[in-house]
Amino acid sequence: MPSLVELVQSLVNGVGIGLVYGLIAIGFCVIYNASGIVNFAQGVFVMLGGMFTHAMLIKLGWPLAVSALVSIVAVAGIGVLVQLAIVRPMWNRKAPLFAIILATLAVQLLIEQIVILTMGDQPRTYPDFTPGGPLKIGDIAISYQLFWILGCGALMVLLLTLFFNRTRAGRALRACSQNREAAALLGVPVDAMLMLSFALSAALGAAAGILITPTQYTAYGVGAPFGTNGFIAAIIGGFGSAPAALLGGVLLGVVQSGAIVVVGAGYKNVVALTILLVVLLFFPQGIFGGRGKKA
Amino acid sequence: MTAADPRPAGPRDVDPRPALIEVAGLSASYGRVAALKPVDLHVAEGEFVTVLGPNGAGKTTLLRAICRLVDGAGRISFRGQDISTLRTHHLARLGIVMVQEGRGLFGEMTVRENLLLGAYGLGNAADEVERRFGQVYALFPNLRQRADQIAASMSGGEQQMLAVGRALMAGPKLLMLDEPSLGLAPRIAAGILDALGALNREGLGILLVEQKAPLALKLAQRVYVLASGSVRAELPAHEIGSHHDLARFYFH
Repeated sequence: MPSLVELVQSLVNGVGIGLVYGLIAIGFCVIYNASGIVNFAQGVFVMLGGMFTHAMLIKLGWPLAVSALVSIVAVAGIGVLVQLAIVRPMWNRKAPLFAIILATLAVQLLIEQIVILTMGDQPRTYPDFTPGGPLKIGDIAISYQLFWILGCGALMVLLLTLFFNRTRAGRALRACSQNREAAALLGVPVDAMLMLSFALSAALGAAAGILITPTQYTAYGVGAPFGTNGFIAAIIGGFGSAPAALLGGVLLGVVQSGAIVVVGAGYKNVVALTILLVVLLFFPQGIFGGRGKKA
Repeated sequence: MTAADPRPAGPRDVDPRPALIEVAGLSASYGRVAALKPVDLHVAEGEFVTVLGPNGAGKTTLLRAICRLVDGAGRISFRGQDISTLRTHHLARLGIVMVQEGRGLFGEMTVRENLLLGAYGLGNAADEVERRFGQVYALFPNLRQRADQIAASMSGGEQQMLAVGRALMAGPKLLMLDEPSLGLAPRIAAGILDALGALNREGLGILLVEQKAPLALKLAQRVYVLASGSVRAELPAHEIGSHHDLARFYFH
């Protein structure tokens, strides 16, 4: 049996990675709620956030804040491009949803290949945002980066909640998620809202990638596992509110992290996928008060 | 328009008022099934027009084709402007607003949020938005009391009031309604229709689709009878005396 210290340590690590899953999950929800599309390219936004920031921070020597902001804006732009070039034409031709979802999967593979060709296949990383650390509490080590993840994650959820509840565009996006026809009849440009959802979702993914890279690494292929875990977190959260998705992510992160110390690292994904199946079987609406999606 | 002076309804050329909306040869189909055979229809400025017809007559398709929610062929002009190729979301800004069958509310949002979305086209013109809130609350005082309630938690009648109120927030010139009395107790439905009558007296053009004739005929100035996707008759409302007359149109 692992010691108490190991368990608490794994809990701390799990919260960190779980928050990142949560941010990715929110990205899934934003697009899904606006359109019914599950964007399987969500993972590449995470990967690109880390890759772009690495290029600017390490290769170009730009300050971290600038690198991060430029990366987020650039990845949001790529999200918009994916919507304009692939999703919107299919949508307007009334392609079945599953065809659009498959197309997003193709986009994921395509972008991965482009990254290999242009940036190489070597993993890379950059230092924690705040040098030094970890913070030691007894035998428990808490990386300074975890505080960045916590702080930025909380800030983003707060800003998103304000956006969705207090702004005209945010309300219109929620309206599209509940009844696209009614929204269009009131003058809401549903196409533009779908584009906005891709921009937001890509920006969230990029932010998640930028935050997590110092604790591990980034490379062309990290999109798929991050995307999968973010998707599972979104399902646990019920594809509803941002806080529910974030909680779903934390739960998944903690359970995965616990599984690593209890049964070994090889079981990390077995546990994650088992959770996914259990949730789908017994809590098809999600655990955290998510809502059933009406067609 | 007073009851003592029934407007000579019928062909366009005797109507003194300019056309608000003119639909010419509008057809629509679902796959190979023609839901709407070429239909001609118009509503004059300030006119209250009702489209009656049995279930499956194509009434809903007619409204959806006008709003570009289903693809249709034909010409639609609004105050002389060809709008046949516009997208749905452009119509609200011109002043064409539809209350869908089943109300189409944003059920998980509050009454106030639903109304705010009605005013989406106003941008952030807060004064005008507040003015319209005042008008809608004056027409439907219940909505003011329930401003912070979730729309789906209200009664059917209140939901229909909200659907109409939300459409009014968009500042329509032409309000189209798809069976607003469906599923409502007669007294409640009559209340909604009275409100529509009041709006029409203030000059709002109304195109109402209904299956139940008596309620819908009380207010209308002119009636189209639709059956099997075609216009079977166009006549002044007061000329339709009974269900018996209607049945004649439906099944002839």
